[in-house]
Amino acid sequence: MTTARVDASAAVRPERKEKMGALFWSWMTTTDHKVIAKLYIWTALSFFAFGGLLALAIRAELAFPGLQYLHYETFNQFFTMHGTIMLLMFATPMFAAFANALMPLQIGAPDVSFPRLNMFSYWLYLFGSLIACAGFLSPDGAASFGWFAYVPLSDAIHSPGVGGDLWLAGLYLLGLSSILGAVNFITTIITMRAPGLTMFRMSMFTWNILVTSILILVVFPVLAAGLLVLLSDRVLGTHILDSATGGAMLWQHLFWFFGHPEVYVLALPFFGIITEVIPVFSRKPIFGYIGLVGATLAIGALSISVWAHHMFVTGAVNLPFFSFMTFMIAVPTGVKFFNWIGTMWNGSIRMDSPMLFAVGFLTTFLFGGLTGVILASPPLDFQVSDTYFVVAHFHYVLFGTVVFAMFAGFYFWWPKFYGYMLDEKLAKLHFWLMFAGFHLTFLVQHWLGIEGMQRRIANYLEVEGFTFLNQVSTVGSFLLGISMLPFLWNVYISHKHAARVTVDDPWGWGRSLEWATSCPPPRHNFTKLPRIRSEAPAFDLHHPEISGVGEPVAAGVALDPTKGGPR
Amino acid sequence: MKTESRIFLFLVIFFVVVAPVYAFTTFRLDGAVEVIGTTALILTLLFAAMIWGMLALTGRSTGPRPEDRGEAEIVEGAGALGFFPPTSIVPFWTTVAIAVMFLGVVFGWWLTLIGVGIGIWAAFGWAYEYYVGDYKH
Ligand code: HEM
Ligand SMILES: [Cu+2]
Repeated sequence: MTTARVDASAAVRPERKEKMGALFWSWMTTTDHKVIAKLYIWTALSFFAFGGLLALAIRAELAFPGLQYLHYETFNQFFTMHGTIMLLMFATPMFAAFANALMPLQIGAPDVSFPRLNMFSYWLYLFGSLIACAGFLSPDGAASFGWFAYVPLSDAIHSPGVGGDLWLAGLYLLGLSSILGAVNFITTIITMRAPGLTMFRMSMFTWNILVTSILILVVFPVLAAGLLVLLSDRVLGTHILDSATGGAMLWQHLFWFFGHPEVYVLALPFFGIITEVIPVFSRKPIFGYIGLVGATLAIGALSISVWAHHMFVTGAVNLPFFSFMTFMIAVPTGVKFFNWIGTMWNGSIRMDSPMLFAVGFLTTFLFGGLTGVILASPPLDFQVSDTYFVVAHFHYVLFGTVVFAMFAGFYFWWPKFYGYMLDEKLAKLHFWLMFAGFHLTFLVQHWLGIEGMQRRIANYLEVEGFTFLNQVSTVGSFLLGISMLPFLWNVYISHKHAARVTVDDPWGWGRSLEWATSCPPPRHNFTKLPRIRSEAPAFDLHHPEISGVGEPVAAGVALDPTKGGPR
Repeated sequence: MKTESRIFLFLVIFFVVVAPVYAFTTFRLDGAVEVIGTTALILTLLFAAMIWGMLALTGRSTGPRPEDRGEAEIVEGAGALGFFPPTSIVPFWTTVAIAVMFLGVVFGWWLTLIGVGIGIWAAFGWAYEYYVGDYKH
């Protein structure tokens, strides 16, 4: 990645060999939200790769009955760390990456409110992740109690070794990172919008960032409390989470009070990305803006009151309340779907790569949503809880939102981040490989679950009849792994050879404010801001014949260049 | 800041309804109020109320800002917006301090002491970084 490339001509590429040290130092000390976003992107992608390799190892083991080459304990470590890495070291930071990369641009701000705090969040993320993964280097290996670390399994007696302690310490730092990031985003959105950019003119992506950040502030402190209590039980010998005194339920409540909203922390920002992509490639304004804002807020609020649907099978939670609330959340989610379809309806749709991934997201997430409704019903959940049906469900939801939407966002905004477009042909190859690989891997897992294959098992018997579907799934997962190669190759060759983007909006129909500044934007984002009269200021600026929004007549057009710059 | 504060007002209203309903349902159907969830919901309510109050009061004292008025022109936001630190290594050292402190919990408290030491130094960095050096002001 380069950060020095702000010039439009390809001739002025920095001589990298000599400047490596200086470049590295500039990354380490940066306070620029755009550079921090890139650090987040590449760090999160590295963890995505690591988590993906662990998943492939799991899938390879499951391709045949019996134990092939993983030990039971190693297998447990692998799925635990796979889950933890994917959720907290890949997907959550990817939210911070997109929020950093886009939100200040979309509200016309020169940076986030607290640039040093922003970098602090990044460092906490990196260090926290490394600490949590460092368990792999310890003699007893990494944490192996599953990503939700139920007590008493995760206490010092049943899971001895520093791996678990490191996992707890690392996650605490990760939580802190998310909280500080959220504070930064909320403050920025509330206090640094450009004149005329009222709350109801914010892009839907920014709205989603706001609601996500509020969710983070509500739930991550609860996780932090739980983690510290468990750590203290493990290392100080306290007895707060002892089963004898109801500790098992206490932990589950604390964990899922965080855990369920966390799923929406992962979903909402990526919904936001999709909501930005669809109107641009349908050549239509977003359908039902107010409805989408309302739906986002409703999802945010409801998601804080459904946590115990993860605890149905404990037999110790209130089934009617949690089942009802969980069904309720399907309503605003349905509204979102309705609005996405409504935006495409009668539009002149162009299937460029961002739109292709967006449609891939819609399909995948629809499946995940449907199985989610099934799981929200306790009698059905009792049958399939802790089976591969659940594994299939949450991969449809998580992979559908996070990965498909992430790539939609990458292909869409790459010119804004780096100043060149990615190659379309490779993007399409990437999409179709990924789409096929994904559904091959996870669709069959629904049936495996219904046939009774439990999750988190390293081994099964020939006679159980799980072999064939597991092999289909394993083949699919390797296809999925391979599908990442065209993307990396695409980045590499586009980086080397693609033409520089010299216009503000290479797609031609960009709507939100980031398309009204250069690709990539200057250090403090804007040399000049357009008049803001709707939620699509860049579109208004570039298509005055449609919008009827002109520039102000008087002399005050050019901005005071000091605005937003360092004092 | 009316809209901003109303977002949190919405959360307040939501939890004013949901927290008692949860407490009551668990009391009626399970025989006892489920204390953990009820506490968490009430704390969430207080959290939302706190921010709502803060935003509502601030909004009242500042009045509508250019970004609250739909007809505002960009020039109205002209002028220095604040100080944006150009570069800083302090976040790095602060994280090192916190990380070492936490590793101390796992490997031995002597590490935590070292972490506190680095932390004090890092805290000075947060406060005084721009009193010296190139970007002094
Ligand atoms: C690269 C494609 C992926 C493959 C092939 C894959 C495969 C797997 C497998 C085989 C398991 C273990 C199931 C079990 O033994 O019970 C698993 C668990 C899990 N995966 Fe994935 N996964 C992928 C991507 C993701 C992504 C993108 C996310 C989230 C953003 C994710 C989140 C999880 C979680 C939370 C678990 C549960 C871990 C646990 O049981 O503690 N996975 N995955
Ligand atoms: Cu849930």
